[in-house]
Amino acid sequence: MNEFKSGFFVGGGQCNGRVLVVDDEPDIRKVVRMTLQKAGYDVLEAENGAKAIETINSGENRLLLDVMICDIRMPKVNGIEAIAYFRENYPRVPLIVLTGFPDTDMATSLLHQGVVDYLVKPVEGEKLKASVARAMEQRELAHL
Amino acid sequence: MMNTPTAQGSEAAVTSAAQAHSEIVSGQTKSVAASLPMRVAIIGAGHGGTALLDGLHQIGTVEIVGIADRNPSAPGLTRAHELNVPVYDRVADLIQHRDHHLVMDVTGDPTMESVLHEQVPVGTAILSGQASRLLWTLVQHESLLQAELLHAEKLAGIGSFAAGIAHDMNNPLQLILGLAENLIDETDLDAVHTQARDIIEAVKRTSAICRDLTSYSRRGSLNQDSLISINSKLDEALKIARYAVALQDIEIRKRYQPDVVVKGNPDELLHVFVNLITNAVQAMADQGTLTLETAVTTGATQVRVSDTGCGIPSELLDRIFEPFFTTKPPGSGTGLGLYNIKSVIHHMNGTIAVESQVGRGSTFTLTFPSGSASGERSARP
Repeated sequence: MNEFKSGFFVGGGQCNGRVLVVDDEPDIRKVVRMTLQKAGYDVLEAENGAKAIETINSGENRLLLDVMICDIRMPKVNGIEAIAYFRENYPRVPLIVLTGFPDTDMATSLLHQGVVDYLVKPVEGEKLKASVARAMEQRELAHL
Repeated sequence: MMNTPTAQGSEAAVTSAAQAHSEIVSGQTKSVAASLPMRVAIIGAGHGGTALLDGLHQIGTVEIVGIADRNPSAPGLTRAHELNVPVYDRVADLIQHRDHHLVMDVTGDPTMESVLHEQVPVGTAILSGQASRLLWTLVQHESLLQAELLHAEKLAGIGSFAAGIAHDMNNPLQLILGLAENLIDETDLDAVHTQARDIIEAVKRTSAICRDLTSYSRRGSLNQDSLISINSKLDEALKIARYAVALQDIEIRKRYQPDVVVKGNPDELLHVFVNLITNAVQAMADQGTLTLETAVTTGATQVRVSDTGCGIPSELLDRIFEPFFTTKPPGSGTGLGLYNIKSVIHHMNGTIAVESQVGRGSTFTLTFPSGSASGERSARP
């Protein structure tokens, strides 16, 4: 794991990128991991916003985390707070919201803040992968 | 959805310097102090007598001095026992009291009127025949309206459950969808079995949400006399309240005395607990400690719901049980939550009291006298 480099840094290959999935439901993390690993992504998990912040601030993740997928309703640090932190401290990491609650106002506000996508559960694997692929493109452009 | 008694936000914080400590017990209205209660005797403990008992009992300015019926199994006599109203099997024994203002005859017996006119002391008014019937019909009608109001307020509140329901339903649906997609090309038979079982469990979780909510949203059960386990009803209310408010950052402390029961309508009491818990969590802005306590003391059963929220300014304390009083912005609360809670508790012959300190939190205490709301199982036949 320590020697892993994200797809962007190694220029493709078997790993397409490193994705952090933040959700308080282990089942959701499991199923998103399953979908994205099949698509060639390395997947990290965090159970709330506080853990997500801890994860990105640890080791090589500071540099190599490509995309964060984040729930909104979570204990401790919720999704809104975590997204604000990421926008402030890691503005080049694209964010995807994956939430159980379709809230148009919140979606509009988050998209204005630069969130790549606002996905409402249940979301099909193809749609999730397409969204992550778009985020990866954004991630690569951010480094140009 | 429901009346939040706690003035949320900065207003409350401003007055916190005063650290006002106040307490009010509902039902002790100003008018009670201003005038002596009207003392009423009821003759006849059938449907009319029962309706009058239930209706008049909730009015602070009326005192029911007793109810009489020759039939010892008349339904109103049981209800009178529950409400601690003296019961007489001989009409004469009741009406010969000289300290009542009004005798109401709801027996429907045409000979009763003349009996009353002979025996009722001079100066006591008599209401009988069609006039009496009209009055108890009105009281009964008001009781039905109150039940409708309770139901309407409950349904209005369910609108705010949307976020919680969506969260709890869409998570298992995401799992089901993801696993099903994976199963399409899964070749490992063990993995197929595991994932199929996970799908079944997720479906069960989803259907449990529907079951909880349809049970909660139904019209109040007609059974007013159920023995209710308070502890399990509080746990059930927590399950429902989590749809309306975020409980994940709330520390929940349960201090339950075992086997605490009261008698009443289980659906209405559930609604009371859901409202109190929701109010408490909203007062804490989703972070703090919620304490649920039950206890049986000598002569009384008590339930306490405490929060560490913003508290209620003392000048609002005597208004929080008023209908349509709310500190929420227009469209966000009906202002009927605590009013309905008070009605339900009074109907169970209980009282509700609140203690609050701005900036420290609030405690709502429900007290049911053991005579009417049995604090112990053995107290019931």
